[in-house]
Amino acid sequence: MNAATTITPSVRQSRVRPSRRTADRMLRISCTLATVLGAIVLGSILLMLIVEGIRGLSPTLFTHPTPGPGTEGGGIANAILGSLVLTTIGIVVATPIGVMAGTFLAEYGRTSKLADVIRFLNDILLSAPSILIGLFVYTLMVRPMGTYSGWAGGVALAIIATPVIVRTTEDMLRLVPGTLREAGAALGAPASTVIRSVTWRAASSGIVTGIILALARIAGETAPLLFTALNNNSWFNANLMGGVANLPVMIYQFALSPYPNWQQLAWAGALLITLAILALSVVARVVIKPQRAR
Amino acid sequence: MSTAAATAATEALTQPATRANADSSAPVRIAVKDLNFYYGQFHGLKNVNLNFHDRQVTALIGPSGCGKSTLLRTFNRIYSLYPEQRAEGQILLDGTNILDPRVDLNDLRARVGMVFQKPTPFPMSIYDNVAFGIRLYEKLPRAELDARVESSLRKAALWDEVKDKLKQSGMGLSGGQQQRLCIARTVAQRPEVILFDEPTSALDPISTGRIEELIEQLRNEFTIAIVTHNMQQAARISQFTAFMYLGELVEFGPTNRIFMNPEKRQTQDYITGRFG
Amino acid sequence: MTALTDQIALADTQRPAQRRGPSKGADSLFRGAAYASAIIVLLVLAGIIGSIVYGGWPAFREFGFGFLTSSAWNVGTEQYGALVAVIGTLASALLALVIGVPISLGIAIYLTQLCPGWARKPVGMTIELLAAVPSIIYGMWGLFIFAPLFARFVQVPVSNLVEGLPVVGTLLYARAPSGVGILTAGFILAIMIVPFVASIARDMLDQIPTILRESAYGIGCTTWEVMRHVLIPQASVSIIGAIMLGLGRALGETMAVTFVIGNANRLSASIFDPGSTIASRIANEFNEADGLQLNALMALGCLLFVITFIVLIIARLLTRRVKVA
Repeated sequence: MNAATTITPSVRQSRVRPSRRTADRMLRISCTLATVLGAIVLGSILLMLIVEGIRGLSPTLFTHPTPGPGTEGGGIANAILGSLVLTTIGIVVATPIGVMAGTFLAEYGRTSKLADVIRFLNDILLSAPSILIGLFVYTLMVRPMGTYSGWAGGVALAIIATPVIVRTTEDMLRLVPGTLREAGAALGAPASTVIRSVTWRAASSGIVTGIILALARIAGETAPLLFTALNNNSWFNANLMGGVANLPVMIYQFALSPYPNWQQLAWAGALLITLAILALSVVARVVIKPQRAR
Repeated sequence: MSTAAATAATEALTQPATRANADSSAPVRIAVKDLNFYYGQFHGLKNVNLNFHDRQVTALIGPSGCGKSTLLRTFNRIYSLYPEQRAEGQILLDGTNILDPRVDLNDLRARVGMVFQKPTPFPMSIYDNVAFGIRLYEKLPRAELDARVESSLRKAALWDEVKDKLKQSGMGLSGGQQQRLCIARTVAQRPEVILFDEPTSALDPISTGRIEELIEQLRNEFTIAIVTHNMQQAARISQFTAFMYLGELVEFGPTNRIFMNPEKRQTQDYITGRFG
Repeated sequence: MTALTDQIALADTQRPAQRRGPSKGADSLFRGAAYASAIIVLLVLAGIIGSIVYGGWPAFREFGFGFLTSSAWNVGTEQYGALVAVIGTLASALLALVIGVPISLGIAIYLTQLCPGWARKPVGMTIELLAAVPSIIYGMWGLFIFAPLFARFVQVPVSNLVEGLPVVGTLLYARAPSGVGILTAGFILAIMIVPFVASIARDMLDQIPTILRESAYGIGCTTWEVMRHVLIPQASVSIIGAIMLGLGRALGETMAVTFVIGNANRLSASIFDPGSTIASRIANEFNEADGLQLNALMALGCLLFVITFIVLIIARLLTRRVKVA
């Protein structure tokens, strides 16, 4: 050390010990690797879906219902339509309840004990295992009605979507400045008018984002549909009673089946549903942008 | 101030404000009697007694936290949005005690308008902003509503700047324009009293000047109470001034007298800038 | 000037004698609807608890405390116990945390400290999109892509290496190296919780005042030291809260696990061996079950609810403490 300082007196020696540098470099490398790993997983999932799924894409996919066991050909038109119907029921039921409950928490329940309890229970519901929601709807609807039904599936999806909408609605309404509510009240507008014409409007893009995210969440849900809508290898009844075909359960059953044409249909369905959900998620993030910028 | 774009109507409004003298004989519009105010346990206003005269501008001044905004917020009971806040005593508006629980709050607030510290345009078009308050209480034919919106925007000296973009969002206006939009929205409801809570504190000097001239104009029609941090502003635009300190009303009187010849030591100290 | 405004005033200030106020009915109706919607949330949760307790009650009555400690699951003899599924649930979720948390923190640190500004949005989006992928797709990826690779490059070599050794020889020995099993489930669950934990941790790190970070760098700290001594301790409580939320998800995840865990009712000491979790067992058996088996599955649902409920409460307490402080 003595030698080092005498030989190059003009060059200041770095005071950062080598061990500190090593630790820092290790951290940088491992953090970068972790991120790369995440990207690789997403990439390999998409690659897998495209490679396996694209072969199954054909016009019959969208025109024919799922084939029976051991039957050649067929499509997944009934499952696509069924998924659209079930998620529509889910979101149509969940949106008014979720938005109104979120409004209650943000606008009426700021100081009430009941609101604190409901806020907490909503968080529990938000993270509750979705399979338990399937068990609940099975007990509530499938058992008493004696049959699986699209209605039961829709209700199960609604129960999953509602807490998502409640949470985002409340969060977004809380971002609306209190002065805007005061200004509304100062004009003599009753609370409900202020909420409907001022605060909802101010928070609208955030609330819509929440609804889209909820839609993305329920579109791919499988577990709660297993005991409620189940599946069906034909077109379902117009009254939605009996099993209703849907993409997630179809994928689950067909992917694990021994029939090659079923497996191919499962891959095609998986590709379609994943692309649709990723697109919804991207749209939701684009919609929220102006809200954040403000 | 640029007058190039201004038309005849706004020219009249942008003349240097010529403050009228206090008219103590004007009828009393608001009479505050033994008013006490509480934020939970905190005693925010202590036994305030004060009169506001018809068609006069009364300025409330005092250091931060003295209770001037609190007092203003009792006149339309906007504080009752927050359950932990309460007022005791009497505030008589044209002889009726507005602190009476039976008073219809929405009706009260339509009679007593308020303009806030920061501009609060609603997320809707300029036209809808102004029409918002009218639609709450009156069902007007389209043409009449248009006329009301126009005359309100004219009174707020904003018409010429926005007449070609009434359908655009009110959020797109400049800060000063937004504040005048809020004034137009308040005026459109035809209130009897207008409360201003530091209306220019978020604005640049030019916008501030326009708002001050506007208040001087509005005085011909409305009873006005204004909270301000700016003593020059109080001196410029008010006929009466109330000086508050630590939740108490220290001194009240014609603005000329309060500024030229204050009776209380605290008032003099504050006005001359020795504390505050 | 005064004359002009007086004219406007005369023409325009005829105040309505009696204002036609907005109807009070509509206001209270709206409030009532908001209140009722909030109550629905409460009722749904109560309904979930009620239905699984009601459905599981016969099984609890039949087996008593033994339901928790028995590893039997025999449809023929009607003997049911929760032990294998409970251990499988806890083991796979804990493995998920062990694997997933370091990756999540690494990503959060990368996004907040190391990532160049232009890449922050797209990289953050990529990680967030991982959360949007449906769990059934993770299941397929796990079964068809991950498991074969895992069997070939990890299970077989490791098993050969540790065969006959004490402890690790049991823990890491695959009787049949098929790639599916508890550890595989842990891996897939880890990937599934990463986007959640990483995005919460990123938000927490972002919330720490810049001045604190800058002053630490200002005295010559390296990124590692800033993280280790300043940022992680600051955000630790809420990051643990985020980890608990991730754990809650891992415990209840159904489809992905059902694909890759092997669905065996066997108590094995090796994490390479197949097993089951509560959720995977319910998913597999519920539709064909009736009688006591159905009750036992409902009872498993109760246990799952209790476990996740406890975890979520801990998560909630930790994240709330941060908000108050």
